[in-house]
Amino acid sequence: MTAEAARNLESVEDLEKKQQWWWVAEKTRSRRLDYLRKAIWKKGAIGGLYNPGVKVDLEFGLLAMESWNAAQVLADPKVIQFAKHLAHYLDNKTIFITDHAQLVGYVGSLPHTVFWDPTMGEMLNEEIYNDSTAIPEPVEESIKTVAELCDFWAGKTMQSEILPTFDIEDMMKVMSGAVGWGLPMSRTGYSGKDYEYLMTGKRAFQDILDELNQKIEEADYRIHNETPTPEILDLYDKIDCWEAMTIMLEAGMRHAKRYARLARTLAEQFEADSTRREELLLVAETCEQVPAKPPRSLQESLQYDLFIQLFSRTEAVEGAWPSRPDYYHGPYYQKDVNEKKRLTEQAAIDLVGEFLIRAAEVGQYKPRWTKEGLQGIDGTWVWTLGGVNKDGSDACNDLTIAFMKAARQVRVANPTFALRWHPEVRDEVMREAFECIRHGLGYPSIRNDPVLIENAMFWHGHPVEEARTWLHQACMSPAPTTKHGFQPMRMASATANCAKIIEYVFTRGFDKTVNMQMGALTDDPRKFMDFEEVKTAWSAQMESIFGLLVRVVNRGRATAPKTCPRPYLSAISERSVETGMDVCDPSLSRGNAWITGFTWVENADSLAAVKKLVFDDKKYTMDQLCDALEADWEGHEAMRLDFVNNAPKWGNDDDYVDDIMVWCLRDVARFSKEMKCPSGNNWPLLPENVSGNIHYANMVGALPNGRRLGDALYDGGISPGPGLDKKGPTAVLKSCGKINHVEDGRAFLLNQRLSPSQLAGEKGFTMWKAYLKTWADLGLDHVQFNMVSDETLRAAQSDPEKYQEVIVRVAGYSAHFVDISRKTQDNIIQRTVQGIG
Amino acid sequence: MAECRECKSFFVSEDSPEKGDCIQRVVDPRQAYYRSVPVNADKSASQCLNFIKK
Repeated sequence: MTAEAARNLESVEDLEKKQQWWWVAEKTRSRRLDYLRKAIWKKGAIGGLYNPGVKVDLEFGLLAMESWNAAQVLADPKVIQFAKHLAHYLDNKTIFITDHAQLVGYVGSLPHTVFWDPTMGEMLNEEIYNDSTAIPEPVEESIKTVAELCDFWAGKTMQSEILPTFDIEDMMKVMSGAVGWGLPMSRTGYSGKDYEYLMTGKRAFQDILDELNQKIEEADYRIHNETPTPEILDLYDKIDCWEAMTIMLEAGMRHAKRYARLARTLAEQFEADSTRREELLLVAETCEQVPAKPPRSLQESLQYDLFIQLFSRTEAVEGAWPSRPDYYHGPYYQKDVNEKKRLTEQAAIDLVGEFLIRAAEVGQYKPRWTKEGLQGIDGTWVWTLGGVNKDGSDACNDLTIAFMKAARQVRVANPTFALRWHPEVRDEVMREAFECIRHGLGYPSIRNDPVLIENAMFWHGHPVEEARTWLHQACMSPAPTTKHGFQPMRMASATANCAKIIEYVFTRGFDKTVNMQMGALTDDPRKFMDFEEVKTAWSAQMESIFGLLVRVVNRGRATAPKTCPRPYLSAISERSVETGMDVCDPSLSRGNAWITGFTWVENADSLAAVKKLVFDDKKYTMDQLCDALEADWEGHEAMRLDFVNNAPKWGNDDDYVDDIMVWCLRDVARFSKEMKCPSGNNWPLLPENVSGNIHYANMVGALPNGRRLGDALYDGGISPGPGLDKKGPTAVLKSCGKINHVEDGRAFLLNQRLSPSQLAGEKGFTMWKAYLKTWADLGLDHVQFNMVSDETLRAAQSDPEKYQEVIVRVAGYSAHFVDISRKTQDNIIQRTVQGIG
Repeated sequence: MAECRECKSFFVSEDSPEKGDCIQRVVDPRQAYYRSVPVNADKSASQCLNFIKK
């Protein structure tokens, strides 16, 4: 009997007892969800390469070349040119409808393709040319096409446009990849959305289009009828911006109509099954309604959202998917399921599950550093559930629960959820969250809503009603969904490899990996006489690295409206529709910037080790330490073990090192208030990792916490080093509780591993709730859990085929365990399993 | 010379008889779907491997 046949004979109860939740899901979900879930082409990269069969999509490049060559496009202002490229693509791209699907739309042309926009940058284009595994069949012909596209766009890309606007030295440092990530342009990163404008059912594309046409008409009238004065000069640019927006909205509506036509044709000409025929007609009706007009049902609301996201991904390479789906789609669920009873609960879960699948299958070709940093996923789609309404009342609804039920049925690793916990969240909701975690999904992460609302007001001055709308703009960072509060583009360049701060203290800012003077030229560490001098050098290196990244992103943000306009994102943003200015114009935004701090905790552990073993115990001199670090600890193993084992480590409720952690954060907080974004607001730190701890392993040199070049870094945020938190979960929480989660930074990621056997059943839920109470009482803002046993993870390492569906929490995201590198897998297994209760 | 308008997979647009959609059934290793590409009715179909006369 095959393993599959044997499994088919096992009951759901038996599989539950064995905690094989992925087989439980397969046995209990609907036929439709089962089909659609298995139909997904996974777009996350493994080891920097895409899965077999996943291919680069050449269609956008070819269509963009076609529209570029059209004379009328070349004669247009840049923003209109760009809008016409996108419209031409949406009008002519290949579309498809998968069997059993009720929701439609994909960023590329076919299900197995990853979208590629060759107008973005030469670096990405050349990477694709050299990625032999992703070139579509017939390979020889496709390589020629890729080469043709690379040649055609060389010198005309956004990258070529923006690079000359930056300081060359700063840009070389950022592009070295040692301390920051990627290009500071407004078409790669994480786009926030003005959901309060777009998703509250008050308007849709046609309403906005009518408003835009009126604006254009009024401006045109003023230009031609008012006495010429400088006041009317701005109107010319505004008209261009408004016209580009109308092009995008019209193209979006036409695109939806193409799906309506396809669905109707399939129903009328192809489909023999009457049930499926009805479904296809409903798909057609849905796409005739949205995005042109506001949705009337849950299906229309989800489809509307999907179109909004897909158009945004046509305009930009998105690393995130900011969403608050229960809040914005909840009223439609309430109407369809509870009031009009047009949908059963299971039918609604099928729709919600399919919505998760449609998001999970999205793929855009990403550069290698992103593929390595986001192992196993295309981007961090962290969807926000729960929280409060604008008046502060509980916002959880039946759809909050439906999303968590659907997640357990479809078990996708991306999107994941984060639950905005507050004291009024019902037990029923917490139970669903617990079940997701117990089923090994690694999500939802739990966010402390009162703390984060206060934090948003403290750091960025968002009014309380706006702060209460917050969602995750990327893995972790809260951002409001309001007219002036949302951030249109988070540029990932302000992502700091923070372990470099302490490394540069010992190299005087010289980076041996990239052979450049990267940081500040601080004093010779061999001559440091006391710990204060170490702290002074640390502070200088911190300011040097953060200052560099912020400077570059500020420049990128300030020039973005001219160099990389976003006509579609502008068209769905009230502030741009109202003013005729690009959405990224800093003058329209309150500002919601943050620096993502990868590899942060190494600083506290390293500083504590220096203080303890060099200056307090005087066991070693600074000379000896510098020698050991320069030698990558080689020939100094006994000393290295001393620095690992006999220096205090973060996460054990030990004031010695915890005070150093708090000092570091407060020093950064001081500088965060001195630095300002182009909107004039602060730049707080947000310590978290994706899989940057592995990506940077070969870039960070030896550190005083005993780490060698090449060793995995800690898993990030304020999580203790794997295996170094020896005093239990309460000690971890107490250490983290010494940080002021409102004033010391924007948010702080905490990974915890819990034992699935200990937390089984009702008792497990009670223990978990007690743990969360301590977490909340201590004022922490975030915690996320892995609840998969070592036994399962090790079995998955030895027999990956059998454990394809095991999901783990990596950092700010989840991934299928088999889709992450061996080093990351080992790093997760090494994390301490905390016994609670 | 065969043109797309003569093909079984060609579905004329309601807005213009000169335009339409080429709709094909595709079965890939993971899923089955119908795909649609806009085409001009007078596009040459002589090189098209999927051409089936109406």
